[in-house]
Amino acid sequence: MFLRSLLPSILLSGACVVSAASSWSFEDATLSIQSKGSAVGAGAKEKFSPTSPLAKSVSLGTSDSLKLLLTTTDGKKAKRPHQAFLTLTDPTTGVEESFVFGVKESGKAKLDLTQKDLPIQFLTSTKPIPASIVIGSFGASSPYNSKVFDLSITRDQNVPLAVPEKPVRYAAEPEIHHIFRSDPQSPPKIITLVFAAAVVGALPVLLGVWATLGANANHLSKALSNAPISHALFVGSILAMEGIFFMYYTTWNLFQTLPAAGVVGLVAFISGSRALTEVQERRLAGLR
Amino acid sequence: MRWLFSFLALALFCVVNARSFTGSRLLVVLEEESEREKYGVFLGDLESRGFTITTLTPKSESLSLFKHGARAYDHLLLLPTKSKGLGPALTANLLLDFMKKEGNVLLALSAETGTPTAVQSLLLEVDIHIPSDRNALVVDHFNYDSTSAAEKHDVLLLPFPKPARSDVKDYFGGEGVIAVPRAVGQTLGNESPLLAPILKAPSTAYSYNPKDEADIVEEPFAVGQQLNLVSAMQSLNSARLTVLGSAEALQNAWFAEKATLAGKAVKTANRDFAAKLSSWAFKETGVLKVGKLTHYLNEGSSKKLNSSSALPENNPKIYRIKNDVAFQIEVSEYTSTHLTPFELPPNDILQLEFSMLSPFHRLNLSPISQTANSTIFGASFRTPDQHGIFNFAVKYNRPFLTGIEEKRQVTVRHFAHDEWPRSWQISAAWVWIAGIWVTVAGWVVFVGVWLYSAPVGAAVKGGKKTQ
Repeated sequence: MFLRSLLPSILLSGACVVSAASSWSFEDATLSIQSKGSAVGAGAKEKFSPTSPLAKSVSLGTSDSLKLLLTTTDGKKAKRPHQAFLTLTDPTTGVEESFVFGVKESGKAKLDLTQKDLPIQFLTSTKPIPASIVIGSFGASSPYNSKVFDLSITRDQNVPLAVPEKPVRYAAEPEIHHIFRSDPQSPPKIITLVFAAAVVGALPVLLGVWATLGANANHLSKALSNAPISHALFVGSILAMEGIFFMYYTTWNLFQTLPAAGVVGLVAFISGSRALTEVQERRLAGLR
Repeated sequence: MRWLFSFLALALFCVVNARSFTGSRLLVVLEEESEREKYGVFLGDLESRGFTITTLTPKSESLSLFKHGARAYDHLLLLPTKSKGLGPALTANLLLDFMKKEGNVLLALSAETGTPTAVQSLLLEVDIHIPSDRNALVVDHFNYDSTSAAEKHDVLLLPFPKPARSDVKDYFGGEGVIAVPRAVGQTLGNESPLLAPILKAPSTAYSYNPKDEADIVEEPFAVGQQLNLVSAMQSLNSARLTVLGSAEALQNAWFAEKATLAGKAVKTANRDFAAKLSSWAFKETGVLKVGKLTHYLNEGSSKKLNSSSALPENNPKIYRIKNDVAFQIEVSEYTSTHLTPFELPPNDILQLEFSMLSPFHRLNLSPISQTANSTIFGASFRTPDQHGIFNFAVKYNRPFLTGIEEKRQVTVRHFAHDEWPRSWQISAAWVWIAGIWVTVAGWVVFVGVWLYSAPVGAAVKGGKKTQ
């Protein structure tokens, strides 16, 4: 970032210094893309200069090789610099990679580039990658650094790319929220209510059928006069037992239920034997 | 007795005065005593910050990092020495042992004297790589000081570094330019999350060996931003190893020197950078401390009581599944003299994991409140519908911050028999409940009829009698 902001000022100051000291540059730059199998020199050649970079981006295929030829100059003279790099910068990730030109004593520089030389970030980049040439050396001559072309990587989509696993970096991880099992479902209430009503409706039907068959409670007064206490207690204990069941269902625990049921059961047993004796007497008397 | 008291008072004074979180004993190893003068301002600054400095040379008899098996010093500053080795008291193994016991090391390298083999193997051990040529240094034809290095371009002038990631705290930022003369560049291994660059070289810089005869660089050790001038390794026990490529940057000569960057006169701010770098390296900054950690049942009667002290039961050993639980953790950051409330970097999050083998919940903790010297982070959540032994785990490892690793174990039980919804709350059960009570009512009526029914007609009566 810093460098990008600094660059214009450097170039500007470099331009000011030109009168005092010479500056690094290059000339006779040609770029050619050669695909595999084609004859040497068959690929398209494009010329560019420090002041006029290539307008359209250069496309580099899987088996292509990019060849850059240029002559480095110091001032007007061809000269060999200490540093002659082609620097690629991925605009999205900011990854930088520099490739070193082979420079001869005469200043003739050569660079070959294929996709094999590029790091994985460039191969997966969707945007064209700006390529700049850096020429610099010791002494007072001002260095050269400027974008000369855009490199767009074309890749055969059918060939899988071995993307290395991302290395571990300490950072916040994505949130995880536990997914709860869904609650048990009940059928629609209307269906439940219809069937519950059918069940409840069965009781009056049953009672009605009994009534048509002649069920009645006419002997109640007779039974009560014959054995009042035992009948009252027996029927009472049966009702109390149902009451105990209701309490157990709603609030009581087993330890509250069992003693109560024991007491009521005992009452039912003792009073029941008397009450049923009375019923037997009525039967023997031909009243049932 | 009096000497004991004065000793205790002195010790107390030292403890109170120490600005480092872990201790104030600093060992400085340099070539010879006279070298100390060159670093006088830097060491003076350290002393004024409360460090007790012991200066020794590798050859000195009393040089030992350990005493009775414990660390004899809290921090180590290794300045460049001319000799190839550092002697038997400073082997790579001993330096690693020193770090295993939570000692901090600041390594200052120099391209002029070369790097001792012990330091080379120590760096190799932590996956920091330096050029194999003894004299390789970093040059940049764009950002050099044209006053002192007009020809060689080996004094780099750089702005203060900005954090590489938006979720990392900035401990090294500042105003001005840093002079980095004749630095040994380092590259960091890509695998380890413990390594972090502090000051990267500019993208036009490269490392080369001036002793090399060739007048063009052909296979540079590293180029551009892959080259680090200052890098750091913070191990899992939070011991810090800081590698400064240029020991010269710490010398008096560069602390406020006039320099020229691209035709403009600038003044180096090395003193400020050295202070920031050494306070991080010696744990005066970037140290986290966990205070109180609470979790509690956040439902029913306890939901109303929000202040943690008023709660009926803090940190219970057991929860039920699907309980609402609240969790709070108090985190402080140590800055130079005292603990301050920890503030997260803008894009960073402190996270809580509720895990059994693997996390069931990973939740972002948000700052709830602040005390005078801590921030309380909290989150509430519902325990998962899986019973077992769970952990509340807060694991916070970030570059430049000491790690937090807190774990609290709790049991999560399933529903007790009387905690399920009652049958009348389940609409599907209504048919069966109605069936039961209809049967009960029918039974009671049947008993009444059986006991008290009178025969209706003679035929029926006779029929019944024969039964």
